[in-house]
Amino acid sequence: MERSIKQYEEDRIAAVRVASLLILASGTTSPRVGGVGECTIHIIDDPCDIEDLCQEMERMSAIKKSWEFYSRDAAMLRDADAVLIATSLRCVNDPADINCNMCGKLTCEYLKAEEKLPDEPDVAFRGPLCVFRANNISYAIDGMISQARNLGIDYGVYWSAGAAAMRMRILPRDTGFALAVAVSVTEKSPFRDIPKRYAEINQRSMNDRMIKRLWPQFRSIYS
Amino acid sequence: MAVKQMEDLVQNGLDRAVELMAVAAHNSFRFENRNSIKMIAVGKEELEQIAEFCFSLGDMSPLAARDGRHVMQLIKEPCSLLIIGDKRKSDFNYNCGACGYRTCAEMNKADEVESLTARGPSCQFKNINLNIAINAAASAAHRLGLHCRVFSTLGFSALAMNIIEDVDLCVSVSVSAAKKNPYFDRHEFWTKEHWDETFNKEFPTYNRGFIGAVE
Repeated sequence: MERSIKQYEEDRIAAVRVASLLILASGTTSPRVGGVGECTIHIIDDPCDIEDLCQEMERMSAIKKSWEFYSRDAAMLRDADAVLIATSLRCVNDPADINCNMCGKLTCEYLKAEEKLPDEPDVAFRGPLCVFRANNISYAIDGMISQARNLGIDYGVYWSAGAAAMRMRILPRDTGFALAVAVSVTEKSPFRDIPKRYAEINQRSMNDRMIKRLWPQFRSIYS
Repeated sequence: MAVKQMEDLVQNGLDRAVELMAVAAHNSFRFENRNSIKMIAVGKEELEQIAEFCFSLGDMSPLAARDGRHVMQLIKEPCSLLIIGDKRKSDFNYNCGACGYRTCAEMNKADEVESLTARGPSCQFKNINLNIAINAAASAAHRLGLHCRVFSTLGFSALAMNIIEDVDLCVSVSVSAAKKNPYFDRHEFWTKEHWDETFNKEFPTYNRGFIGAVE
């Protein structure tokens, strides 16, 4: 690779790191209902860590039909330069005590007494959660999106990656709900214009089948 | 060119800004592109009714009462309230479990529970879409230089009073073109007596030297 192009590639990755921090800042300072802090944001920018997350998503996609799109999301996330995961830490153990009924329990005491869904493979989030608390994550997510747009950075929002990160136990222990924002500093957003069967047919698989597989044959024949 | 007076400029600008906030909310990110929110903007007349309703909840909710008192002050200057709501049932088929039911179908079939604040149980992702729209509206208001704050209490009241119809969940963004930011540090709404009385009722242990002591 040309020296100047290698330098560009390094600077691009540095830009992702800076942008991720600024996006985290915006997500952190976005509003919280009740003003009580409960959301954390975690930056995953190591390609190996992103790959681990994608593999967990692929495992989860096989669990049930309604999660089949997880593998498509994983194919997109492999092209992301960083994944930011926003969590809600109070929605399981610390209901807002405002008796809002959004969870369908007339008072928060009923919600506290309600048994949570079991820790089983086909349960992504062990509800019922305090909806009022978990709603704070929307503000964090929109704060992050808003900053990404200001910075001119491509983004995608995925609940599959949030659920997978929870399953990998890389988030704080009290996390009850998590959503992910993937960001990319590339010329073409990897989160838009996604063809059908993207989990199977994408840039990596096409490169593998059409270039890497054919090239040795071409070289053998034409040498 | 005709001279436009400051009051007209501010009021017209506010009206236009609320429309732009509505566009931002309408076009905000949402899961599965489910653009199912309902949205209305209300003016001072409805705000006054909402304020009275909030104030009437005083015994149940000091927070609602405080916000009711606040709105009565707010309507003395140019202001508006953007109310956004959505239905509670899931049309995502994510089967994620966050609502406490294993599948969306189970949650959609569950008995509806009515209350003054919302109808539940509700899909977590419906709530997320709704609140992202709210944040987008608030973000637009911020960029347009309006004073702005998101209120659950006023949204709940609008729902209870059927000011916004055909929704189960509701949140509101209040905006103002007052001469100073009316939404934060609202100390003027407390008399010292009322503050002391409420504080002592809500935080009884704060002034007690030894927690084990009983009067």
